[in-house]
Amino acid sequence: MTYVKEGVVTIVQESRFQLTDDNGVSHLFLLDRNAAAEPAQLAPLQARQARVRVTYEPARNLIGLVARSVRLLPPSQAR
Amino acid sequence: MTATISPEAAPATRDGPEDAPRVPRQATEPPSVHGRPDRAGWTGPTYYGRPQLKASPFENPVVGGYIFLAGLSGSAAVIAALADLRQGAEAAPLVRRGRYLALLAPILGAPLLVYDLHTPKRFYNMLRVAKHTSPMSIGTWILMGFSGAAGLTAAAQFGADLRPGTRGLRGLARAAQVPAALTGLGLSTYTASLLSATSTPLWAAAPQSLAMRFGASSMASAAAALAMTEADPGRRRALEGTAAAALAAELAGAAISHATYRRTGVAGALSGKAGRVEHLGATLLGTALPLGILAASLLTRRGLPRPVTALAAVATLAGAAALRISIMAAGDRSAEDPDVSFRFSQPENLPAR
Amino acid sequence: MNMHPRALEHAYSTLDHVIPNESELTAGVRIEAGRSYGFFTDTTVCIGCKACEVACKEWNNLPADNIGLTGQSFDNTGALSANSWRHVAFVEKSGANGLRGGQDQKFQSGWLMMSDVCKHCHNAPCLEACPTGALFKTEFDTVVVQQDICNGCGYCVPACPFGVIDVSTVDGKAHKCTLCYDRLKGGLEPACAKSCPTDSIQFGELSDLQIRAAERVEHLHGIGVDSAYLYGTPGAPGATGDLGHLNAFFLLIDRPEVYNLPAAPTRPANRVAPSLATGLATVAALALASAFLFAPQRGERP
Repeated sequence: MTYVKEGVVTIVQESRFQLTDDNGVSHLFLLDRNAAAEPAQLAPLQARQARVRVTYEPARNLIGLVARSVRLLPPSQAR
Repeated sequence: MTATISPEAAPATRDGPEDAPRVPRQATEPPSVHGRPDRAGWTGPTYYGRPQLKASPFENPVVGGYIFLAGLSGSAAVIAALADLRQGAEAAPLVRRGRYLALLAPILGAPLLVYDLHTPKRFYNMLRVAKHTSPMSIGTWILMGFSGAAGLTAAAQFGADLRPGTRGLRGLARAAQVPAALTGLGLSTYTASLLSATSTPLWAAAPQSLAMRFGASSMASAAAALAMTEADPGRRRALEGTAAAALAAELAGAAISHATYRRTGVAGALSGKAGRVEHLGATLLGTALPLGILAASLLTRRGLPRPVTALAAVATLAGAAALRISIMAAGDRSAEDPDVSFRFSQPENLPAR
Repeated sequence: MNMHPRALEHAYSTLDHVIPNESELTAGVRIEAGRSYGFFTDTTVCIGCKACEVACKEWNNLPADNIGLTGQSFDNTGALSANSWRHVAFVEKSGANGLRGGQDQKFQSGWLMMSDVCKHCHNAPCLEACPTGALFKTEFDTVVVQQDICNGCGYCVPACPFGVIDVSTVDGKAHKCTLCYDRLKGGLEPACAKSCPTDSIQFGELSDLQIRAAERVEHLHGIGVDSAYLYGTPGAPGATGDLGHLNAFFLLIDRPEVYNLPAAPTRPANRVAPSLATGLATVAALALASAFLFAPQRGERP
């Protein structure tokens, strides 16, 4: 089952990032090994506090979420 | 900023990735228990019976399968080159089969390696460096060189078979088979150094005899595979002789290995299923049995009937595969068992300086 | 950026800038490129609070793993892994050598607590094994995995004599302690050292740490803790077998195996040459024998 979350990338470390959604709740994501995004592409997202849409699955035996894709949202969609 | 547990996070399980390591025994005894007379090797304390090392994350059938194919291919290239240099056109069928057999590693083995990577899409990063301290780096370049040379040899051979009149192609194959044979020598044996240049006790305890075993097993596999399909009796005997010599060397390597394992205290890793496969499958049925059959065949004038020697060839090949996979499984076990790893990493096992 | 009001409450620091060279204030050492840095972990003052584990997870944004209780004293982390780069070990002893002896109640008389971490070895086996060059030595003499190069081959995992580095099956790459490489570049000491309330974990220049550690051992011997020794300094246990020395070294008071450390690890790269030489000699000799067996044809070869 794949879920979707939208929010702002607030922390980036290696291939892990923290997404803060519109309710102020933060979630820890790990980039899946087959995800289209590369770890090096995450840092600019955080620097710009860019708003993204992440599709993910829950991780097994980890308290975290496994991101399958990270899509930059156009600024007009920011509320 | 608060991090909350997302409601979608799945409950913890113990059977998937990112799990705690397998603990070899019921780990409830406190770590300061001394004296365990029921276990050979380490009798001192462990940390709750937990592993001290980490086992390799390789999938043993995949990497073991690659090692088997690499040895088979590399040695096939060597034997094909020898036959061509010694007997020329007379040995053409054998040489042809050997050159095609050498393609197994580049065609089947390399994809196995890429599959085993945890991020396969970055497989080309293996070509970023050439590191003499890393057998995996050394092996990457040996495989690249071998693939090129053996590929060229096979392609020239194929072309020469298609158009028999072309003299240049046969000469090209003859030239390319030399680097193919030289890199084939490396391919046959570097995989042992791949295992030994780690901290896994079973692999690190006897690096030289393991290399002897793997190298000899590769030559035996190739000679056996080519002998099984050889029509000419004279060449078949030569191949069987090669296989017999290789099996004898492998047996010697096995004896030295086991003595070294006992001396360094890692023999406990061979007490389980992997050890039984290694003793029964690899050494007894895969080395001693075919050696006996081939020796008997070579000592009689006409040799034993072909089905019998073919059985020996099949046993050799099965034994070679069993050897690689069982050594890898037993090695992983030696890393995960603190009784073995603590006994191995003692000052008396340090190399003499 | 439109965020929930609560998320904005603590979004900004009360300082309007980063303190330059903050490590001078917190650790007494100015961090400069080209020098050797590491940890001296004095386990005799560790109180097992696990602030180091939490700080490491928090700074590096690592997910909680090894969920569940182990029943192994207060150690529910178990071991270092791809997502746990600091691990506090607990060993409950009664009548511990050199500490409170006598007839104390069971498990009340002596505890050994040690914060385990990547040793950042001088001749790091993981680095020597890495076939992609992802593992490298930084300008601070620490060992770091470059995440955009690693392809998860996993060869570093069995190479490590301390069982530190691990491959994550989620993101497919190898991970371990970076000695807070990003913090060092900003003049900050590593998160674990900063958060340690007893200064059990001391961050500094390696030569200073080694002097400090030797003095501490002498002091302990003087007050009756005869079993105190250093693990990982040149020539000591843990730095054996041509590993050189460990940039993250320890003061221990019991044998290494009790803390799940090897007494005499070795440098795997020293096994490459003997193995290759013997293997090549074997196949070359067999090839020679084979060449003899293939009798050449009578007459000329085409």
